[in-house]
Amino acid sequence: MAGRKAALKAVDWAAFAERVPPNQRAMFNALKTRNDALTARLAALPEKPPAIDWAFYKANVAKAGMVDEFQKKFSALKVPEPVDTQSAKIDAQEKEAAKSTAEYIQASKARIAQYEQQLQKLKNMIPFEQMTFEDLSEAFPETKLNKEKYPFWPHKPIADL
Amino acid sequence: RALCPLVPSAPAALRALPPPVAVGVLHTTRPLHTTQQSLAPVPPLPEKGGEVRHGLIPEEFFQFLYPKTGVTGPYMLGTGLLLYLLSKEIYVVNHETAAAACILTVIIYGIKKFGADVAAFADKLNEEKVASALAMKNEAIQTLQTAIEEEKKEQWRVEGRSYLFDAKRNNIAMLLETNYRERLLMVYNEVKKRLDYQVAMQNLKRQKEQDHMIQWVEKNVVQSITPQQQKESIAKCILDLKALSKSAHAAV
Repeated sequence: MAGRKAALKAVDWAAFAERVPPNQRAMFNALKTRNDALTARLAALPEKPPAIDWAFYKANVAKAGMVDEFQKKFSALKVPEPVDTQSAKIDAQEKEAAKSTAEYIQASKARIAQYEQQLQKLKNMIPFEQMTFEDLSEAFPETKLNKEKYPFWPHKPIADL
Repeated sequence: RALCPLVPSAPAALRALPPPVAVGVLHTTRPLHTTQQSLAPVPPLPEKGGEVRHGLIPEEFFQFLYPKTGVTGPYMLGTGLLLYLLSKEIYVVNHETAAAACILTVIIYGIKKFGADVAAFADKLNEEKVASALAMKNEAIQTLQTAIEEEKKEQWRVEGRSYLFDAKRNNIAMLLETNYRERLLMVYNEVKKRLDYQVAMQNLKRQKEQDHMIQWVEKNVVQSITPQQQKESIAKCILDLKALSKSAHAAV
């Protein structure tokens, strides 16, 4: 069972806010408001309730033994700590997030590699002034004329001219 | 210029010749596919052709004759050849000569006057095509670079997910703590309420007993005053009053 005084980890809201993408801003704001509300509530409550003045009550209450009984039961009373049902879910969420993040980063890196490759190809291209039509078809395969399908000039449907 | 990469690589003898001749000779002696690197791309063609004089005769001819005949040599040769052809009637002057002269004049005049403009116009057409292709290429490069940056930025963003979970755990901890404190407070309040109730009840009872006692005593006392006693007490009172009034008179 987690100790009662589980220290609250300081969350750097500014840095957090930086990393939120614009389409998730609303959710972030909701989370922040909740957090603020809870902090306010927590700060309003005292850490320990004030102590009961047993001597006064013992002096004033006539019923014999009542105050003693109360006192005994009160000191023996253990207020149960609320059970933490959500932390496990949070941990599970975190693991899942870690996994999906790893996948996303993987895919992202693959995309970056692809882009880099294309970038290199474009950068290493010979300048257009020195290209022949063959060179152009090599560099940009989409410009290649399909001479089998359209054997007659202009080798592409007239509408595409 | 496209010429520059070729000329320095030419042998020293070629470089000794003046540039137009060097280029002209290079045209004829370009090393194409002679070495083992035969699959390398062919170097680009030079921008301008070899130089010519009078639009017809290549410069190399004049340079060729220069050592022997000086500057005027080729012209003397040309003039002599022309006169020979005319005088010996190897070339016969007929009506076609006149036609040729007129046509050539017009053609040469036209080229000299409009040649440059037409060339510029044709170059411009080509320039536009090349420029648009280049613009597309640059745009593509730009798009790719921004895409790469965006991806990197997304990766950086994703690294911040720990903040989210910390915040959530904080929320949970705060909720639990709040709940616990509320419970403690509730216990205290309830016990206090009960004890206070007992004390208050006692106080109230005592109060009521006192009041009742006082009332009962008063009632009994009033009851026990018999008429006889009443008369006696009234007489006593009057005597006391008289005595008092006397002493009061005296005081005044």
